[in-house]
Amino acid sequence: MNASVLKTLFSDAAYAALAPLFALGIGALAVLVAGLFPLGKVARAVLVLLTLLAAAALNVGMLLGDSVPGLVLDGTFVADRTTAMWGVIFTIGVGLAWLFSRHYYDEDASHQNEHDVLMLASALGMSLMAGARDLIVFFIGLELLSIPLYALAAFRRNRAKSVEAGLKYFLLGAFAAGFFLYGSALIYAVSGTLKLDVFADPASRAKILESPMALVGVAMLTGSLFFKISVFPFHLWVPDVYEGSPTPVTGLMATGTKAAAFAFLLNALLALPSSTSTSLAIIALITMALGNLGALVQQDVKRMLAYSGIAHAGVVLLGIAGAVAGDPKQGGAVQAALFYMAAYVATAGGAFGVLALLERDGERMTTLEGLKGLGQRRPYLAAALTVFMLSLAGIPATGGFLGKWMVFSVAVRAEMIPAAVVGVLLSVVALGYYLRVIIAMWMQEPGEDSPLASTRAIALPATLASAACVALVLVMGLAPRWFLDHM
Amino acid sequence: MSELLFYAMAVIALLGGLGVIFSKSPMGSVLSLLGSFFALAVIYLLAGFHFMAAVQILVYAGAIMVLFLFVIMLLNLGGMGTRFELSAAPLTRARSQIAAAVAAGVGLAGLIAVQRASLPRIAQGGAPERIDDINQIAIALFGRYSLPFQAVSVLLLTTMVAVLVLAKRRTRESGQ
Repeated sequence: MNASVLKTLFSDAAYAALAPLFALGIGALAVLVAGLFPLGKVARAVLVLLTLLAAAALNVGMLLGDSVPGLVLDGTFVADRTTAMWGVIFTIGVGLAWLFSRHYYDEDASHQNEHDVLMLASALGMSLMAGARDLIVFFIGLELLSIPLYALAAFRRNRAKSVEAGLKYFLLGAFAAGFFLYGSALIYAVSGTLKLDVFADPASRAKILESPMALVGVAMLTGSLFFKISVFPFHLWVPDVYEGSPTPVTGLMATGTKAAAFAFLLNALLALPSSTSTSLAIIALITMALGNLGALVQQDVKRMLAYSGIAHAGVVLLGIAGAVAGDPKQGGAVQAALFYMAAYVATAGGAFGVLALLERDGERMTTLEGLKGLGQRRPYLAAALTVFMLSLAGIPATGGFLGKWMVFSVAVRAEMIPAAVVGVLLSVVALGYYLRVIIAMWMQEPGEDSPLASTRAIALPATLASAACVALVLVMGLAPRWFLDHM
Repeated sequence: MSELLFYAMAVIALLGGLGVIFSKSPMGSVLSLLGSFFALAVIYLLAGFHFMAAVQILVYAGAIMVLFLFVIMLLNLGGMGTRFELSAAPLTRARSQIAAAVAAGVGLAGLIAVQRASLPRIAQGGAPERIDDINQIAIALFGRYSLPFQAVSVLLLTTMVAVLVLAKRRTRESGQ
């Protein structure tokens, strides 16, 4: 390899493609170093905000610009409009979690700086995952996302539940990482490369998948990705981990991790032969059923949202199954998944954020019992939570409805009508538990012994974040043109 | 001769792996793992990967195992001995035996499947370039793999921060 090869490798396009990642990485380092100096809380917050804004701006620039860098670094990383859109979604997800975490740890505010560094690092990991066209790059992105989350899940070390969540997530995540590596090694042994583009050519894909070793490898890879997006049968960890983690971190897990894993899964679709579409659809439907039925019996809203997150992963997987089966509309599944996840990030991010606000000075504020009568005590918060519940349920005029409609229409276009019908019916089941939250908030009086929700004033960052979420959900539901045009 | 050596080393590596699981004391586990690593290094040598063999010894046996030993000795885990019992509710003896049986069955089925099917040779890309040459490794690392290489450095730093957050004694907490 000589100088000219290096020059093509490290071209301007490569730097342009990696610019959002550089912004996040440099920002995370700056925040880390800033912890050494006696800077005020505000100065540090500005640094985090600037980092996220810079990354978002670079991604938006790529979205609106005339040309995109495309495949760079010898085809191991891609930066196009899709990954730029994912990048924007990630920064929104991390930004929301960060804003809601501002006053969450009031009683134990130490290590706030490291908390922010870990959040920024996880954003970097997500962007790396979304752009990865190579299994090594993806794996490092996955770990860069997961390791900060393990620590963040156990961030409240003095709470047994938080430590339990961190440990459970870590142990299972470590196994999933092991499966991923082993699967990659098997694929490498057969194909001689870790790049995804070997699967792009049907002939070479068929040849690779002839080997049982590669099949085992693809199965292991799929399993570890299913773990991250919490799809049946790898969903059992979700309720405990979501319930035990600090609520803003749960929001990040529910939105960011899932979005990043789906971003890659859509890229990796190339590796799946169309014969797998039926089993994918069945897995998707089982996931939806388990998630929705599990959510119905929950009393804790955080746990309920965990189960509902499982169901939502099932919906997106159904869209992916449709794409594998052969969606006649080019890129339809990618667009549907992008829109769905964008709406989900705003909705679930906002819902977990509002729960975090209610929770912070009472332990068990997140039960249905605790939400009773919230409409009278905190009308604005209750209204925001109502919008989120309606969007999660997929009621028209919210982003959630349009997302669901787009995903199901992928399945319909791929002629998987029965699966789509069952999926829609399962979504109706979901209304049962989302409406229970709304009923508890607006139509029920607080019981004698039900704990009173916080009466503290809500800090500015959280107010801004919840308002932004509501606005996003409604804009995506009522005027989705801009989003659709740029996807 | 070299075939004999390979099988001997493979058996040692396997025995080492089993020793990690079945040893009663953490110290015994660590030393078994060390034996397994050395056996693997010899297998690498036999396959002609001299650099990898050296790195295996240096990094795994030299650095990581020493770290393990330090942790065990510093935390004084050496004496814990038989206190590691699988008595927690989800890990009853019967359940772990079922899990082990299922895992072994799946593994065996996989082995048989792989044995029966003819393995296709490397599908494309031809023979891999000679990778066991420090020069080539450096070029690959700083060229084609520069993105993962640099991302790993961020990953390691982040991991350090994460570990510190979890492990450091918090002033507020200790005051309470």
